[in-house]
This record gives sequence, structure tokens and C-alpha cells, in this order.
Amino acid sequence: MSAPAGVLRVLSLAVLGVGAALLGGVYAVAVLDRVVGRAIARVPLRLIDAAVTPAREAGLLLLQRRTVTERPDAVVWALAPALLGSLAAAALVAIPLSPALALPDIRSGIVYFGAAMAMVMVAVYVHGWSANSVFPLIGAYRFVAQALSYEMPLALVLIAAALPAESLSVSDIVRSQTGAWNVVRQPLGLPLYLIAGLGLAFWGPLDFPDAADLAGGTRAELSGAPLLLWRAARSAVLVAVAAMGAAAFLGGWLGPWLPGAVWMVLKTIALLVVLLTAGHLVARVRLERFVVVAWTVLIPLALVDIFVSGLLALRGAGR
Amino acid sequence: MAGSRRATLRNALARFAAGAPTRVFVLEGIDAPDALDVLQLRPDITFVDTPRSATVLLVAGRLPEAMHEPARRAHDAMAEPRATIWWTLAPDDGAMLPFPDATVVPAQPNGSPAAIVTLARMLARTQAELLCAARPSEPALLADVDPAPWRGVGPYGQGGAGMTGGVPYGRPLAGRAPDRDGLELDQLPVRVGPFFAPFPAGLVLDITLQGDVVQEAIVPGNAFVASGGDGSPVRVTGDAFHAALSEPVRIADLERARARHHLRWLARMLRVHGLDALGHRTLALAASLADSLPRGALGDVGALRRLLERTRGLGWATAGVGVIDPRLVTGRGLGPVARAAGLSEDARIDDAAYDQLGFAPVVQEGAGERTRHAVGDARARWRQRLGEAMQSLELAARAGDRRTGGEGRPIEGVRGRSSDVTRDSPSAMLLALLPDLLLGQEWGDAVTTIVSLDIDVREAGRAPGAAPLSPPPAPQPSGGMDGMAGMAGMAAKGDHTEHDHATGQM
Amino acid sequence: MGRGGDRVLSDLLFWVAGAAAIVTAWRVFRADSMVRAAYWLMASFVAVGVVLVLLDADFLGLVLLLMMAGEMTIMAVFMVMFMMNPAGLNPMMMVHQHRTSIVAGVVAFLGLAAVGLFGAFPVAPALSAPDTTARLGRELLGDSMLIFETAGVALLATMIGAIAIASGSGRYGTAADGSVEPPAELASGETP
Repeated sequence: MSAPAGVLRVLSLAVLGVGAALLGGVYAVAVLDRVVGRAIARVPLRLIDAAVTPAREAGLLLLQRRTVTERPDAVVWALAPALLGSLAAAALVAIPLSPALALPDIRSGIVYFGAAMAMVMVAVYVHGWSANSVFPLIGAYRFVAQALSYEMPLALVLIAAALPAESLSVSDIVRSQTGAWNVVRQPLGLPLYLIAGLGLAFWGPLDFPDAADLAGGTRAELSGAPLLLWRAARSAVLVAVAAMGAAAFLGGWLGPWLPGAVWMVLKTIALLVVLLTAGHLVARVRLERFVVVAWTVLIPLALVDIFVSGLLALRGAGR
Repeated sequence: MAGSRRATLRNALARFAAGAPTRVFVLEGIDAPDALDVLQLRPDITFVDTPRSATVLLVAGRLPEAMHEPARRAHDAMAEPRATIWWTLAPDDGAMLPFPDATVVPAQPNGSPAAIVTLARMLARTQAELLCAARPSEPALLADVDPAPWRGVGPYGQGGAGMTGGVPYGRPLAGRAPDRDGLELDQLPVRVGPFFAPFPAGLVLDITLQGDVVQEAIVPGNAFVASGGDGSPVRVTGDAFHAALSEPVRIADLERARARHHLRWLARMLRVHGLDALGHRTLALAASLADSLPRGALGDVGALRRLLERTRGLGWATAGVGVIDPRLVTGRGLGPVARAAGLSEDARIDDAAYDQLGFAPVVQEGAGERTRHAVGDARARWRQRLGEAMQSLELAARAGDRRTGGEGRPIEGVRGRSSDVTRDSPSAMLLALLPDLLLGQEWGDAVTTIVSLDIDVREAGRAPGAAPLSPPPAPQPSGGMDGMAGMAGMAAKGDHTEHDHATGQM
Repeated sequence: MGRGGDRVLSDLLFWVAGAAAIVTAWRVFRADSMVRAAYWLMASFVAVGVVLVLLDADFLGLVLLLMMAGEMTIMAVFMVMFMMNPAGLNPMMMVHQHRTSIVAGVVAFLGLAAVGLFGAFPVAPALSAPDTTARLGRELLGDSMLIFETAGVALLATMIGAIAIASGSGRYGTAADGSVEPPAELASGETP
């Protein structure tokens, strides 16, 4: 078939597939968050409640009117949640569900993921700035400080995961784990990635822009559909983080008995549960402390991770 | 036809969405019913931390005059559809409420569970009616106008003298001031109002921010003190500690109330640090102590303490934050704050009844002791209160029918020493410490410090000369949250004719 | 033919990206809000990154996107810090010497266009399926290793130094002590 039709087919597959994955992922985050929260709070929870309440809350927010602050940057304020959501969707494009159910491979998948996740800083900063209010503004600036700190460890551990594969493509990274998963070969990788991932999705201990001590931070002035979109976009970024972690460190679609796609989904859900539990058990750290730790501890550890991984790759190549 | 189909769709969505937890923003006033935390524990109610996304405004207690303007602004900040419910012990005092359309719900002094259920159902019904448009949304109370019109004067349409003058829309342009690195950066004066969610109820601070660093914090007065009033304290009725000043009270009840208070405070502390689930668990423990001492209470609190210490998260968030020099708190009867700084001060030491129980105060490491943690920081304070709560539960279990109090001696209250003689309450003394304590701290640390001090603004009115609330420093916008000023980088208060803006900047 | 359809598509994408780069670059100077100006510039860089990806330099294009996100945010932060009207709320003339700059811009455009149209570029056939990332890697770790490794380590040291300076210990002490300038000490006999 002609190239434009082929491109159109890939494009529609991308939009539908990623859209469905994202919607399912966002809903799963809402349900899992409620389940994990109730378990930690030692409150009994009916599963049917956990499954339906996020939908009810979404409906309520859809029926609420959006608020208007004084002289906001209206266009940017309206676009920022959509931008955050599309960045999460763009990141998911690079992550294959299984060899059969994957979009055409992106050659520099890791770099593409890094670029999409770097733009998250833009989305959150602009979201806090454009509301013309004190607490969102403070949240936005905090996120800039946090983002600059977690970006390097995030990039370095993903590069370390790419070294054994000798390729930047995520599918090749998954295939390189047929012998042993990266979580085993590079023990430093997954913990560092999860910490940086929590910062990227500004969740739990690293939730500085939307913090409770700012009365909600960048979402303090939101209501109605923009609030729903912002919360969904934030969950979408968490899903993208978990999916990349599953692909790069937990072997993606590899695994016995079950089809690859199911393994990928299960591993993503496992990482989501880990991230959500960390969010409910670890208090929000001090930002200054986090910046210092990121630059003085996490980056050297990530460099050690690359060094060890490179050494192993060289030994493997030399053999 | 399409219009009616849309209407039926919308109605179906409204009925579906009405089952969601009611989004409530609480305005706490004088005499806020004690059962507010029981309401918070209910799964069909969510207390949100900003009025923007709330559906129902719950006014708990009476609001003094100084809080009426911020209350109106909080009401207008709510997104439509919205409604107000007034839950108070004294519903006849209509002057104490600025909302003409509010539904009044009388509260019971003893807070029976049935009354709470009724109130929760009423909140849910209100939200359902609002969503289904069966009940009109309340209109805005304040006019949505600029404080001052904009009139350009200069050659390019700017106002005022020259390029740097002018007050667009009533918001002065940013002034600059040196920051902690010797740079000149913009300053933002903000009034963080009486209903700011992380703060204690009614606390108002005039904070000058540079970025998120507090450059100056002033307590502009007490919102609970009426102008022209005598600064008399406002007390929650039915307090066991107050009763102990005049008559003997069972030690078991006293200690149970103390444990309950400390656990409620810990729940708030956990919430401010993002641990909603653990905060819920702590609040549930506190609520179980309201009327009696359940058997597993001590074990549950112990498990909570082990969890908090094992995950270390709260320790990282509070270590080294808000350090109070022990010399500042010596001998002032500041209770847990003093004991967290290593001082062994407790009015219960002199009490014979406690002596029989073998009471020894819980004290954190003090100055001079070998410890790798800072002395008298926020971490010490939450560990102190958690330890005191466990000690109180243990004492309450062993106390039997022993009684204390009523002999005119000072009683160890939950915040410090309280007595019949009029003196500064612990909260008043802690409020006086705040400006120096918050200087130079980042916002997160400042909030942690304030929450860790456990200030009750209602009791701080006892200080002689406690001033009523002064008006805010800069024109505050309508339809916005408390304490917002305009943008233009960071707007600043006052006039800036004395600031010499370098022309080289142009 | 598939190949022809491919080329039409990539040509179309190139022209769209090029036009977007120019239009968003023009918008930088028409925006009154400094944050918007910074992000219009980032949009221009995004378009340039798309062009790089079309030229099969996908690694370079994506790294450009990655870097520009952070850099334009830093630029926005600095512009807000140093300008007195960063949100454009105060209606004033936000540009200076605009006639001179328009003349300079037109002259530069004409010069570059002349180079592009009349310059004699070397003729070299494009590779059919280049693995530009691998070639880039071999260049970075081969002939140009000294330059790039030196620059990389120097940049990392600079970043860490900047973070250390900007940390909680201000110039006058730690934040916990209030970090305020100590009061001026007067010599005996002086009055303030």
C-alpha cells in the first residue's frame, strides 16, 4: 500500500493503542491508589467501591465549573494538563507491549523517552506559572529544582540498561534480557530508576509541586474538568514511568507460560504498586535535602552503575 | 431533540456522580464541634485542602468578625455548583455568620454518632442536589472588580511616573530586596489567611517571601479576638483539662484525652507531609479514644510508632527543621515543646497521684547529650508527642479510679502548664516565637515548624494585649484565595519610590 | 510508488517544520510575557529537532529536544528574575531598538540566503541507511574524545559547583540560622 496510507495506519494504531493503554493505566492507578491507601490505613474496603468511585469522582469533576483566577495566562493554563497528558502518551509510544503488539520501533527509544519526560518540567512549570497565584507559583519553581536534579540519574540508569543491548531501542533492551533481567545484572538500576521516576511523576515523597503544605500547589486553583485532566495526566506519567521500568529492568514481555503482553501488564502493575506504596508510606522529603542527595549520592551511584554495566558488556563482548 | 438528549445524559451523569464522596472545605471557627474528625473519617466525605474544588463549604462553629471577609473570599473561591452548611453549637447567634444562604445544622455538645451520620447524609444530599441542579448554586458574595482601574499615563501606555512607576489594577510592581546570598531578588508579601489548610485553625501570618524562602513572618493579630474585646480566651467546652482546674477528675480520663489530642495532632502532621493513609489511621485511633479506652489501643499506637520509625520518611522530613533553643523555652511551661528540647518540665511530677503510678516524664535528648540528631527540632517534637501518647495510654490503663486536680495547682495540659492564674497560654508564647523561628526557612520547612508546634490560636487570645486582626497589607483580590497578590513577577506591597531601580536594567 | 510517497511525506514534514520554526521564532519577539517568549523559542527548537530527525540524525534531534526543555525553562526563570514586567501585565513597549534589529535581521537573512543559493557546496551522495548514532558514538570516542570528555567533565563539575553554591547555606550562614546579613559593626566614635 502507498506510504501515506501506511503512515496513517500506524498513526491511528498509535493513537488508539496508546490512548487505550493510557486510559486503562490511569484508571488502574486510581483504583490501586485507593486499595493501597485503604490497606495502609487499615480501613476495610469493598472492591466494587474501589472500582467505581474513581469514575464517580471523575463525573463529579466534569459537572463542576472551572474556576477563573485574576488575569491568568488563560491559553497556557488550559493547555498545560493536555501537554502533560500528551507527553505521557508520547513516552508510552516508545515502550513495546510485546513483539507482536508493538508500534514500529524507534531507533533511539531511550533518548525519545528522555526527551518526552524532560518536557514534563515545562508542562508543570507553565501550569504553576500561568494560574497567577502564589501557591501554584511556588510549586512550579520547586518542580524546576526537583526536575533538574532527577534528570541526570534517570538518564544515566537508562543508558546503563542500554549498554548490554548495544542499542538505544527499547525492544532491543528487552531482548537483551533473555538471559537475565537487568534488575539482576544491574542491582543499582531499578532502585535509582524508581526514585527518579517518583520525582518525574511528582508522586509521594517527591510531590513538591502539588504538595499538601502548599494547599495543593499547582492544582490549588483548579476545579472541574481541568482538575480532572491534570490528575489524569499525572497518573499517566506514573504509568509511563512504570511501563519503562518494566521494559528496561524487569524484562518486558519475557516470561514463561503467559503471553508477552500479559507479562508486560503484570510487571507494570507490580511497579505501580511499589510506587504507590512508597507514596503512602514515605513522607514528602525536604526539597533541599533531595537536591543535595540527588547531586552527591544518586549521580555517583548512577555512574557506578554505568561503569559496572559497561565492564560486564565489555567482558561479554570480548568472550 | 439533541438538547433533551443532552439533558438526560447530564442527569444520568449527575445521578452517577452524586455517589462520589462529598467534597467539603471546612472553615473552623470558635466552638468547632469536636466530632469534626469523626466526620473526616467517613468514607463518603473528603475534606479537600482548597475551596476551589469543593462542593460544600462546612462552617464548623462560629466565625468572629475578623474572619468574615476571608470567609466570604473562601466562599467565592469555590467552584459552582456550591452550597454552605453551618454546623454550630449556638445556631441562634446569626450575627456570627457572613453567609445568608447557609443551611444551619445544630450540633450536639456530646457529638453522638447518630448526629454525625445525619450531618454526613445531609452533606451528601446537598452535593447530590447541587449536581442534579435540583438546588441552585449559591451566588458570589463579593463583587468581581479590580481594586483600582488601570489608567496609562506614560508614553507607551504604562501608568505612573516614568517606566517603573504605576500601579496596574491596584497591584504594585515588584520591589526588590537583598536575599540570603546578597543578591537583589523580588519580594512578595502574602497574608496566609485564617483558613489555610496546613495551618492551625485561625492562624494568620503576614509572610514576606523571596521565592519560597520566608524572609519575614509577622503575626498580625489574633482573628479570634474581637475588635474592642478584652482578649479573653475562647475555649472548647467540655475540656477535661479545664475541668481539672476546679474539681478532681479521673486520671484515666485526663490521660485518655491527652493521648487523643496528641494522636489528632499527629494525624494532622502526617497529612501535611503527604501521608494521607497513615493520617487516616492515626485519626481513627484518636477517634476510638473519644469515650473509652479500647483494649488494643496501646498496641495499635505502638505499631504505628514502629512503622513511622522504620520507614524513616517522617524523620527525613523533620530532622533539623525548626530547631528551638532550649534556653528560649526553659521554665515557661511549654509542655511537649520543652520536653522535646530535652528539658524535664512537667506539672505532673509534683502530683502525688501520678507519683503513685510511678510517673516519669518522657523527654527527648537534650543539649549536651551525645546524639546525632538536632536538639529540639520538629522530629523531636513528633517523637515526643507520640511517646507521650503511649505513656498516657499506659497510665490510663493502670490508673483505676485515682483522681487529680481541683487543688488550685497547675495542671499539665496538652500544650503545657495551665492554671487558674491568668498568664500567657502556651500557644501565645509559641506564637511569639514564630517570627524568629521562621526567618530564613523554606516554605516546606516553615509549614513543618508551625505544625510541629501545635498552636491553638483560640487559646492564644489569653495573652494580655493580644491584638485583634489588623487589615491586610496589600489590596487583596476578590474571587481568589486568601493571601494572593498580583503577578508581574512578584508584586510587592507599599510604594517603591524609595527603591532606586537601576536604569542599566533597561 | 512507495519511495515516492515517502519522499512527498518527508518533504511535506520538512516544509511544515521549517515554517513552524520561523513563525514561532518570530512569535518570540511579539510575546509580551517572558515565559511565553521562552517557550515560543523552545517550540522553534522543537521544529528544528524535527528537521534533524528527518535528516536521519535522530539521536541529535531528540537530544536537542531533551536539552531545550531544560534550557528554555532556565531561561524563563532567569527572565522572570531579572525583568521588571515578566508577565507582560504592565502594558509597555517590551522591545528596544527594534528598527536596528529588524535591519540587522534582514541583512543577516540576505547574507545567509546568498550563501545558501550561490555557495558551492561539496557533492557527496547520501548514505542509504546510515546508523548515525553509531557513527556519532565512534566519532565521540575516537578522534574527538579528548574535546568531548574534557567538556563533559568540566560541565558536570560546573553544575555540581553551582548546586553547592545555591544550597541552603547562603552567603551569611545556613538557612536554619536565618542566613541574614550580620549588622554592620561600627568603629568607635562612628554613628550610623
